[in-house]
Amino acid sequence: MNNNSQLWTKVINQVRDWARQNSIWAVHFNSGSCNGCDIEILATLTPRYDVERFGIKLQGSPRHADVLIVTGPVTRQARERLIRTYEQMPEPKFVISVGSCSISGGVFEGCYNCVGSVDDVIPVDVYIPGCPPRPEAIIDGIVQLLTELKGGKARKQQRPVTAEEIPA
Amino acid sequence: MNTFTSLFTLLIFPAGLTLMLVGMFYEWIDRKLVARFQNRVGPRWFQPFADTLKLFAKEQIKPAIVNPYLFFGLPIAALAGALTAALYVPLMGLNPASNFPGDLIVTIYLLSLPTMCVGLAGWNTSGRFSLIGATRTLTQLFAYEAPFLLAMLGPALVAGSWQINTINGYAQNHWLIFTQPVGFIVALIGLMGKLELPPFDAPEAETEIVAGALTEYSGRGLAMFKISRSVELIIGLSLVSSFYLGGLNGIPSFLFKSLALLLVMSVLQVLLTRLRIDQTVGLWWRFGAILVLAQLLVMILWKGLAL
Ligand code: SF4
Repeated sequence: MNNNSQLWTKVINQVRDWARQNSIWAVHFNSGSCNGCDIEILATLTPRYDVERFGIKLQGSPRHADVLIVTGPVTRQARERLIRTYEQMPEPKFVISVGSCSISGGVFEGCYNCVGSVDDVIPVDVYIPGCPPRPEAIIDGIVQLLTELKGGKARKQQRPVTAEEIPA
Repeated sequence: MNTFTSLFTLLIFPAGLTLMLVGMFYEWIDRKLVARFQNRVGPRWFQPFADTLKLFAKEQIKPAIVNPYLFFGLPIAALAGALTAALYVPLMGLNPASNFPGDLIVTIYLLSLPTMCVGLAGWNTSGRFSLIGATRTLTQLFAYEAPFLLAMLGPALVAGSWQINTINGYAQNHWLIFTQPVGFIVALIGLMGKLELPPFDAPEAETEIVAGALTEYSGRGLAMFKISRSVELIIGLSLVSSFYLGGLNGIPSFLFKSLALLLVMSVLQVLLTRLRIDQTVGLWWRFGAILVLAQLLVMILWKGLAL
């Protein structure tokens, strides 16, 4: 009996993880980026790269989304909005920070109007470096998130990958 | 035993579970076709299934100021309405699970239940985006409902019955698309309006009002609204193809006719851009309704003179 219920839990968990890996709805938040990263994200969604074949879709509402894609350093104005957007997303939720600015502040480091990097404000799951990162790099970052999900060890702070590790 | 059979028809086949699966499959075909027309690869075949499962496994957030009964009840009502409408329609070319004289009217009203639920849901969550979305959803409902009903009235009139099954039988010997072309076009475009496909997607215009009436919905509620949408798609396709495209009398004819209709619908989706809400209303009342009314008048006159 106990065995049976364990098996059921395992099967249900597997189905749930499969569904999560294959259907990623993202919401895009610009927390003060120079728009370079945003244009690359839009390029990722165009027919040339077509991420819908992996089940990735851009959603308008944070309530529908699984992944928050943040670009740019966090400005003092955007900080509260970023936190609010993050809190509006239903669990389980993940955060991808795109671009050097969102990882470290980048060229805006030390600006009077910036709070700092994204992980100073909300927990980040995957970092995608580059100024701006190419669409291939963004897709690679999402694939990293998927592998993390597969291993069941999402939501762990990890070392940012270096630019050399990313296929151009 | 009888209860058992009715429960089976209601929950498993042909309504219920099978219908939901077929609906999701059709949704995939629609998305894939649109993607191919846009020169993309498009989603994989299990995409809608994965989306739905994922939504069911997600947290459902209840906004602080909503009425909880309405918030949790509306998605269930929407899905129940769509599934009940399925009982009277020759789904997959099989005989309807139940019928009575006048079930055409009941079906059409049950089909607008999901839209009303979406409207109420938007009003209930009272975010400004949901409110605007709800207003647009209901405005659009009033715009397309009358022309769609009139377009369904045409076949009923020539078949001399209000029963979907009888009309389906009549249509098998008469391809009404040739005798009532205006009705067919209005019914097809009305179906697109019902499903809020482009160019009639102003109620959920992502670029203006986030996600329309369903902005505040997450997890299970959203999944149920999505399923009721794809069930509506199947029912609408079955209705239009059984009335205008020579009836449905088996699974092959259902597949062939409904997929042909779906192809036309996805071409239209790709070709046309979103209409403003006033343009939508104007289109329906100034052209759709008047043209169908004129056709009805001609048919009534013709029928009266012939008799
Ligand atoms: S990483 Fe580069 S492109 Fe992206 S926001 Fe910063 S400066 Fe702009």
